[in-house]
Amino acid sequence: MLKMTHLSKVYRTEVVETYALRDFNINVNEGEFVAVTGPSGSGKTTFLTIAGLLETFTGGQYHLDGVEVSNLNDNERSRIRNEKIGFIFQAFNLIPDLNVFDNVEVPLRYRGMKAAERKERIMNSLERVGLASRAKHYPAELSGGQQQRVAIARALAGSPRLLLADEPTGNLDTQMARGVMELLEEIHREGATIVMVTHDPELAARAQRNVHIIDGQVVDLAEDPRFHHAVHAARANSPA
Amino acid sequence: MMHIKPILAALKRHKAGTILIALQIALTLAIVCNAIFIIHQRLERVQRPTGMVETDLMAIHSAFVGMGDNQGGPLIKADLQALRQLPGVQDAVSLNSYPLRGGGWSTGVRTDVDAKDSKAHTTQYFGDDHVLSTMAVRLVAGRNFRSDEVVEADPRSVPDPSMVIVSKALADKLYPDGSALGKPIYIGDTKKPTTIIGIVERLGVPWNAMWSDDFYENSLILPVQLTSPYTSYLIRAKPGQLAEVMKAAPAALVKVNRLRVIPSERGVRTFAQIRDDAYKGDRGMAILMSVVCLVLLGVTAAGIVGLTSFWVGQRRKQIGVRRALGATKRDILSYFLTENLLIGVAGVAIGALLAIGMNLWLVTQFEMARLSLVYVLVGVVALLLLGQGAVLAPALRASRVSPVEATRSV
Amino acid sequence: MFAYYLQLGLRSLRKNPLLTLLMVLAIGCGVAASMTTYSVFRATSNNPIPDKSSQLYVPQIDNWGPDASKDNKGEPPNAMTYTDAINLMRDKRAKRQTALYPAAISIVPTDPSMLPFRETSYAWYADAFAMFDIPFLYGHAWTADEDESHAAVAVIGKALNDKLFNGANSVGKNVSINGRDYRIVGVADKWNPEPVFYDVINTNGFDDPIEVFIPFTRAVELQTNTNGNNNCSHDPGKGWDSWIRSECVWLGFWAELPTTSEADAYRAYLNGYAAEQQRAGRFRWAPNTRLRNVTEWLDYQKVVPQEAKVSLMVSLGFLLICLVNTVGLLLAKFMRRSSEIGVRRALGAPRKEIYLQFLIEAAAVGLAGGVVGLLLTGLGVMGVSLVFEPDVARLAKLDVSLVLLTMLVAVLTTVLAAFYPTWRAAQVQPAWQLKSN
Repeated sequence: MLKMTHLSKVYRTEVVETYALRDFNINVNEGEFVAVTGPSGSGKTTFLTIAGLLETFTGGQYHLDGVEVSNLNDNERSRIRNEKIGFIFQAFNLIPDLNVFDNVEVPLRYRGMKAAERKERIMNSLERVGLASRAKHYPAELSGGQQQRVAIARALAGSPRLLLADEPTGNLDTQMARGVMELLEEIHREGATIVMVTHDPELAARAQRNVHIIDGQVVDLAEDPRFHHAVHAARANSPA
Repeated sequence: MMHIKPILAALKRHKAGTILIALQIALTLAIVCNAIFIIHQRLERVQRPTGMVETDLMAIHSAFVGMGDNQGGPLIKADLQALRQLPGVQDAVSLNSYPLRGGGWSTGVRTDVDAKDSKAHTTQYFGDDHVLSTMAVRLVAGRNFRSDEVVEADPRSVPDPSMVIVSKALADKLYPDGSALGKPIYIGDTKKPTTIIGIVERLGVPWNAMWSDDFYENSLILPVQLTSPYTSYLIRAKPGQLAEVMKAAPAALVKVNRLRVIPSERGVRTFAQIRDDAYKGDRGMAILMSVVCLVLLGVTAAGIVGLTSFWVGQRRKQIGVRRALGATKRDILSYFLTENLLIGVAGVAIGALLAIGMNLWLVTQFEMARLSLVYVLVGVVALLLLGQGAVLAPALRASRVSPVEATRSV
Repeated sequence: MFAYYLQLGLRSLRKNPLLTLLMVLAIGCGVAASMTTYSVFRATSNNPIPDKSSQLYVPQIDNWGPDASKDNKGEPPNAMTYTDAINLMRDKRAKRQTALYPAAISIVPTDPSMLPFRETSYAWYADAFAMFDIPFLYGHAWTADEDESHAAVAVIGKALNDKLFNGANSVGKNVSINGRDYRIVGVADKWNPEPVFYDVINTNGFDDPIEVFIPFTRAVELQTNTNGNNNCSHDPGKGWDSWIRSECVWLGFWAELPTTSEADAYRAYLNGYAAEQQRAGRFRWAPNTRLRNVTEWLDYQKVVPQEAKVSLMVSLGFLLICLVNTVGLLLAKFMRRSSEIGVRRALGAPRKEIYLQFLIEAAAVGLAGGVVGLLLTGLGVMGVSLVFEPDVARLAKLDVSLVLLTMLVAVLTTVLAAFYPTWRAAQVQPAWQLKSN
């Protein structure tokens, strides 16, 4: 489903070149639920933005659903984001000017779907996250957990093949986080591929597979005892 | 155009900015419509023909010193003789006034000797048989005066002339059936008829004013040489010799008689200068209004650029989110263009009403004409285009917001 | 605190140079357009004789009757017949009075190399000099006795005295007017009331200063024509004598009535006079008279040109649009800083302080707009000659009061425009902006 080989991402400023990712290799199969962990600044988010076609990369290859994406133009990338990928952000990223219904509708609009179909899909995905009754509310009128569930509904509405989640519970308290996590697991059981970036080892543990990133490279923790201390460090750093 | 509903929903949550832009567009439309209307009206006036051939034409104002009203006759005759003999001069005439001079005589005219009220208002030009050839106005019916039909008269004691040449506009007003030639008219409150012996195609009045617009083309030419010491000489130069005549004619007059005053200001003018002077106010008003319009459109465009830039800045994050959710650059661009169009449409709708209201008010205050709806339509289109143009730069900037913005906090 | 806010304001303006520039230019343009047209409006609506504008009166007597006045809202003719003017002069019911008209005369210089020329000239009575507060450089006005005797005397203006006598005291010398010698009794100093209230009918309010004054009685005796308008309701008949005895109106008339009771008495006198004319059979209608002071007269004669009024309206609209524009831009500017406001509020700034900070920032923008406006107003005032007759245009000046007014209008309108954006800014909750984006 998602395969990066020897991928690198360099941020250049006038004075320095910073490698955010270096010789980065990862392979996520269809239907997998992968948690990506790592300390702050390790390149987790960069990985996710490249995986989600939000950013381009500097070198290497990235195949998404069998397609090499480095040569796609902006419009093609937009279409892939719209049709194949669902995003769940730490800060929810709902559009404050739009109500719940209109927020979920945004990606469907860009797909040029008919109004009736849009409505059906929106109500289905809102029902799925248990917020159909809040369709006319504005984001500011919802709790954090509810907002994130709207964001998940928005990600699901377009039936994406790949769901990318960036610290989906980072802004939520434990109870709400648990609810959101259960929702993700349910979605996974129904067949979606999920890649989730998180600080939280407890959450990571609930995924099928963990991938750890340090200094822009994937590290197999189980096979490399040299990095055990890093796991402890990551645990100590993780927010309460 | 696919976004109208959500854009409206979003605008509802930015009421202040939306109202401000719409209001500005509305007010601009109202003022620009009326200003363009005034400009057009003024320009129409400026181009109004006098009926004369205005090239190679000039005028001199002269006043003899210390003369009574009945003493100018022979002096004027001598002047005319000198002027007509100048090598560059085709013809010359002494008149009480001429089109666009700014001062002249006007009177009421009746066709029925017993009528109490006049049937038309008209200006009166007094001159000899050279008036038509000097002015180069076109005689469309009848004949010119013969030199033996011209009488001399003190301006305080003008006898009722037996014959008159009238402008076609006046002839049609007095005798709408077109039978004016040979018919009598009664000038002022006289009981004595004056016969129309000729009709000229067109001849304007000496004034450029609101009050004279009603009878702008109503003119009488009377075969009377006034003997007052002040007079205006209208001189037609031979083709291409106007510059020489401009110098030679005043010199010739001073040579004939030194005891005269030719005003230093506006005493000797080509007809082009006379026209310029007469329409200075109209042209100036048109220029002023044009400048106001341009600056106003600029200010409005600047306001739209400013507010939209702010909106784009404020919404970088949500633009990023939209891009992440699959919006193309074109989608973002069209979002802002559509948003501006919606505000613009609301603005011009209010503005059109304001424009008409403002015009109605101006009509009552300044005797202006009614605004034609064409101006409103042109203004509406212009402002919508202006809005789209102004929003283009910030919208393009918005479309370049990277989808990565979505993952950044703050 | 003020200095601190001013500093903050200036820093914020520098941070956003494009937006600031837009605001400054918008305010500058709006203020300049309004001020330029206002300068013309002010010149034309000026009080030409402030000390006496409520003491000098123009009487009007309806000698044409309702048939003529019905076209003019029942108003009597706006000039006077020779008959009425002479009767009013003879009755002398006011403290001072004069009939007047612009005389069509030419000056013949004694220097044979100079050609004859014309100057703005008026024929009036001796009283006029004191009535209109005309200052004298040399000599004095002629006397009432000289009016009586139709004396060949003249007062000339400073410019003419400079031209004919190189500025020397010319009292006692002769000047040749229309080929006859007049003895100069006085040289008037610069006297140029604007608008030309004493003869609005013939000048529309704007003309060159008067350079020659001669006695009315002598001018009429010599059958000196008027350079102004002559309006007749009926054919006056032939010749000068029938003309001055006719009902043609061509004379101005002024009466000085220092108190309102004197003005009331004069009104009663005018009505009595008209009634007397009715009894004598000259008027076949009830007395219809008016008595207007300078201000009322200028207003009635609509001295302010229509162009000035229309463009003043347009410019006010323009200022309004610039104001709306500034509200929008300030709103953008202030709301962009809502996180800053939130932090300030969280750090204990009361609403009042937020108000103060942003209003001071707006005032700084207004001040800058005023400076730009001032430059543009300067250009505009120069450009006024394009639009208005030179007589009017030269009155529009960029003087100290206009400079101050420009700055005041710029700052006031900007601060006014800032109220709503500032209110919005002050509504920002403390720290709310820290919590989420």
